[in-house]
Amino acid sequence: MGGAWRQHVSDYDQKSAMLFLAPMLAVLSVVAVFPVVYSFWISLFDLRLTRPRSVPFVWFDNYAHVFADPLFWTSVARTATFTVMAVSAIMVIATLMALLLNEEFRGRRILSAVLLVPWAIPYVADGLMWKWIYDSGYGALNGLLYQLDFIDKYMVWLGDTRKTLPLIANAFVWKEVPLATILLLVTMKSIPADLYGAAKVDGANVWQRFLHVTLPALRPGFMLVMIYETMMAIRHFDLFFILTEGGPANASHVLAWDVYVETFRKLSFGTGAALAYLIALITFLLAFSIIRTMGKKL
Amino acid sequence: MTPRGARIGRSLLLLAASLLFLGYVLAPVAWLVSSSFQSESEITSKPPHWIPHQPTLKNFEAIFGAGERDVTYETRRKADPSSGGFIPSTAKNLLPSMWNSFIVAISVVVLNLLVSVPAAYAMAKIRFIGRQTSIYAMLVTRVIPDIALVVPFFLFIRKLGLLDHVGSLIVTYLAITVPFSVFILVSYFESLPDELDKAARVDGCSRLQALLRVFLPLALPSLVAMILFAFLTSWNEFLLALMFTQTPASQTMPIVVASFTSDFTISFSFINAAGVLAVVPPVILAIVFERYIVSGLTAGAVKG
Repeated sequence: MGGAWRQHVSDYDQKSAMLFLAPMLAVLSVVAVFPVVYSFWISLFDLRLTRPRSVPFVWFDNYAHVFADPLFWTSVARTATFTVMAVSAIMVIATLMALLLNEEFRGRRILSAVLLVPWAIPYVADGLMWKWIYDSGYGALNGLLYQLDFIDKYMVWLGDTRKTLPLIANAFVWKEVPLATILLLVTMKSIPADLYGAAKVDGANVWQRFLHVTLPALRPGFMLVMIYETMMAIRHFDLFFILTEGGPANASHVLAWDVYVETFRKLSFGTGAALAYLIALITFLLAFSIIRTMGKKL
Repeated sequence: MTPRGARIGRSLLLLAASLLFLGYVLAPVAWLVSSSFQSESEITSKPPHWIPHQPTLKNFEAIFGAGERDVTYETRRKADPSSGGFIPSTAKNLLPSMWNSFIVAISVVVLNLLVSVPAAYAMAKIRFIGRQTSIYAMLVTRVIPDIALVVPFFLFIRKLGLLDHVGSLIVTYLAITVPFSVFILVSYFESLPDELDKAARVDGCSRLQALLRVFLPLALPSLVAMILFAFLTSWNEFLLALMFTQTPASQTMPIVVASFTSDFTISFSFINAAGVLAVVPPVILAIVFERYIVSGLTAGAVKG
């Protein structure tokens, strides 16, 4: 469609469009072009704030350094585990919630208003709330399980390396589920009612209708939520800072935490930039698939 | 099954599902609120008191009165934990930090309006060369992770001398909010008929007048959504604030609240009260403006 327009673009329109876009373009070059170019540039230097006077150019040594660090591979594995656990839980819970909100019943409006509560609160508050719930001394999780007789003494939760990642993932899922639910609900609402009518005429029961009508029609929504939440999970930092600081024994040492440690604890900005660049690259590959899936739809 | 039996069955199923839903979403927050009204001695009872037996406002008093009190190791040791006097040494920074958060969020909202509204109008309603490219460029910037911005931004801000200044947060938050703001507004402007634009132009309006007089009043719902998103993103942001602020002069609410959790003797009753204060403004905004938020969130999704 761009081609047909070209002949009709007036000088006035072109000029006013450029003028209207100028502030945004300025901001975008600060957010996108500058950091992407500059962080790649930094990643080629051995830049340490502990040694500000000598900043040698080291080619790709920082990347070699990152790949040679066993802790980097640990953090890749932790990030992958966290992402898979979190995204699959989000998909299941959000689908169930969207199915409920797609029904007509009294009180539905209250549910959809309440749904926004986790979405709106800051991650810091989400983190301290779950930290208190998981507390091994006086936490609500211990209290509840104890009262229900599931455990006979209070247990260690976040401090137990096998439980750390699932528990952090739970705090992440709780906050991300609302957005996923809303996105799936819009997709559900766009399914034409005739499809269900036709399935009913064919004698399909509720379960068959869900399996053969709802699920396939939800595919675009699932794709969108999956890709978006995967990107969010891979880069997530806040909860790891608040809940565990990468511990215990590196059990929650994810990629984003690794960038923080390299940059602000070891003050090695070169390696930090190289790491961040790798995360950005992974995310770009995902973004590419977003644009491709969306391009097919348009 | 009889139709009536089926109806009752459906109602029961919906009721059970609704209760599960409410439990999952609200129980953690309810527990946070409940424990913020308990004294330190009550909060440490086993099993926990789900509803405070002796509700107290001491934790909130400690926050609002923290400015006049000097907290040292000695005064803390002498303070009776059950009185809620066991407060972290950074307690008096909480209220100023909420003010900082507010200033930053409002500035980001205003700048967002100035930057995003004209850009979105141009993308949606003006035919110009490079239109498709600018829309794609904007979408691409939405996928750059914040963590990748930290190092270049830090060095840049240090060079500008803006470290530990709220200005650094306003600039960087503007950068992370503008793409989404434009995105919401473009989808809304596109849904308004092109004829409006033509009519305004025939009447002798310039492009700017058409935007200000015809489109802005009509686009109010999307403006509200945009304002809310920019505000909430700035109010809640943690990572960049952690990197760029160092003293109470510029620290925002999330940073000060996070500093409580790493204090050497945690007083959970106090932290929970701080958590409640951090949660109240965004939750009120979300519930009051629910419609606008949902339409904003789904603006991009429907079109794909």
